[in-house]
Amino acid sequence: MKIGFIGLGIMGRPMALNLIKGGHDVTVWARRAESMQPLLAAGAKGAASPADAARGNELVISMVAAAPDVAEVMRGVASAGQRGLVAVDMSTIAPAAARTIGEELAAAGVDFVDAPVSGGEVGAIAGSLSIMAGGSEVGFARAKPAFECMGKNIVHVGASGAGQVTKAANQIVTGMGVLAVAEAFAFAAKNGVDRSKVREALLGGFAYSKILENHGQRMLDRNFKPGFKSWMHEKDLNIVMQTAHELGLCLPGSAATAQMFNAMVGSGMGEEDSIAVLKLLERLSGQE
Amino acid sequence: MKIGFIGLGAMGRPMAMHLQRAGHELSVWARRRESIGDLPARVCATPAELGRCCEVVFTVITSSADVAGVALGKDGLVDGMAPGSVLVDCSTIAPDAARQIAGKLAEKGIHFIDAPVSGGEQGAIDATLAIMAGGEAAVLERVRPLLECLGQRIVHIGPNGAGQVAKACNQMIMVAAIEAAAEAMRLAAGAGVDCAKVRQALAGGSAASRVLDVMGQRMVSRDFSAGIDARLHHKDFGLVLEAARQSGTPVPLTAVVAQQLNALMAQGWGRDDTSSLLRVLELA
Repeated sequence: MKIGFIGLGIMGRPMALNLIKGGHDVTVWARRAESMQPLLAAGAKGAASPADAARGNELVISMVAAAPDVAEVMRGVASAGQRGLVAVDMSTIAPAAARTIGEELAAAGVDFVDAPVSGGEVGAIAGSLSIMAGGSEVGFARAKPAFECMGKNIVHVGASGAGQVTKAANQIVTGMGVLAVAEAFAFAAKNGVDRSKVREALLGGFAYSKILENHGQRMLDRNFKPGFKSWMHEKDLNIVMQTAHELGLCLPGSAATAQMFNAMVGSGMGEEDSIAVLKLLERLSGQE
Repeated sequence: MKIGFIGLGAMGRPMAMHLQRAGHELSVWARRRESIGDLPARVCATPAELGRCCEVVFTVITSSADVAGVALGKDGLVDGMAPGSVLVDCSTIAPDAARQIAGKLAEKGIHFIDAPVSGGEQGAIDATLAIMAGGEAAVLERVRPLLECLGQRIVHIGPNGAGQVAKACNQMIMVAAIEAAAEAMRLAAGAGVDCAKVRQALAGGSAASRVLDVMGQRMVSRDFSAGIDARLHHKDFGLVLEAARQSGTPVPLTAVVAQQLNALMAQGWGRDDTSSLLRVLELA
């Protein structure tokens, strides 16, 4: 398939590489021209603009930082006048922003699919991302061969915005999950109990989770290298809290968790993995 | 002095009347012309026209976007106000939005003071508002005699935006106090104790507060008709949490109170008084 790919950061670069490996004909564009080099070396064509990345292609994919960036590149894509094009955004943005972008693209005859991912840089490199998609059946079906090169668990959740709703729900569960494991460990340690033993015991019961297993082990190892940076989790929880504010939705647990991540960013821990929330808890309880 | 006024709602209307009664020449613009009513003022067709005929313009409107629209939008104040004139914004908006509007107006030599108020509709009627001002000290001194027509406590907090930061702090404390009063009333009722007696006893002690006095009474008498529209506090909490986020400041209590306000909105009580936080507790 002829695919345009916009945004070649930590996630976008390996995702685009996997499309090339999957035999697709890929054209790339990135704001910083130098980040296009590794892709050009791997056989991609270079585009001069987002519109250029859309022109003559069946599918265009964006993987950028925030909603204004998505809106800007998608305006470029729409200006290419490529009717029948499917545009897929795999960034994490607010559901409402995704729906608005979808409507604008629909007016230009472009089918929009929001398809945020979970699985991090490791998943992007391995081609094992979870992909949660929102949009039309037709758009999803057209994008699916591309998704299959980048991810494993690919779910068409519902209409436009549904992918971003799912991603926000994912961040609620993972954010509170990380905080829950960190609080359990702080609780054990303050009670003079070996937290590695606590983890081992809990892994056999109903408290089992991937987060307890993987993130919990990294907490025990005090390995706070990202992974998933705290500031990014804070950004995603802010999407959750803003959406809750707009809808009139009471989310006390998410609110408390978002404030913990807010404190991490404010105290200079933003570049560390979100499991560093353990250090913040220890500081608050005098456990340093 | 020739004074312009935009925003003739529950707060703005009595404020405009005070300025007019103090002998100032009043001009107004309103999105909905019927809101002007019988106000003794010259009626302008656009904010720009209002700006052309006034030395000082006051705005008391709802959101950051509304203030930006009136000040900088099509036929906005910026197109009419002369260099050296002053826009005094008494609305509650985001500190960042206040700074941005100030910056744009400064390009045309127009001064800006963010001057949000506290004291509610009654404070506006009684001219007893607390006014927290952000902007240049010299500009504030020029408009201070006007602000003295509206309130008694006028504090220069700092540069543009600082007044809005102070207002955000005011809202955090006030709404958290409303939630605390609601939880206390709920606890008393849950334990089978007379809420009115509890409130009466507390009013003489360390927990005494204006919120317990005014909002507590509304809770006791179950009179949830506004008062202050809870939707405005809900809006303000969005601003507070965004400001906290921008500075990386943890505000755990504010965040939880914001969720109670979200629940209040979900019940459709946004146009009732914020003492409705008691009714949110009764849902659980």
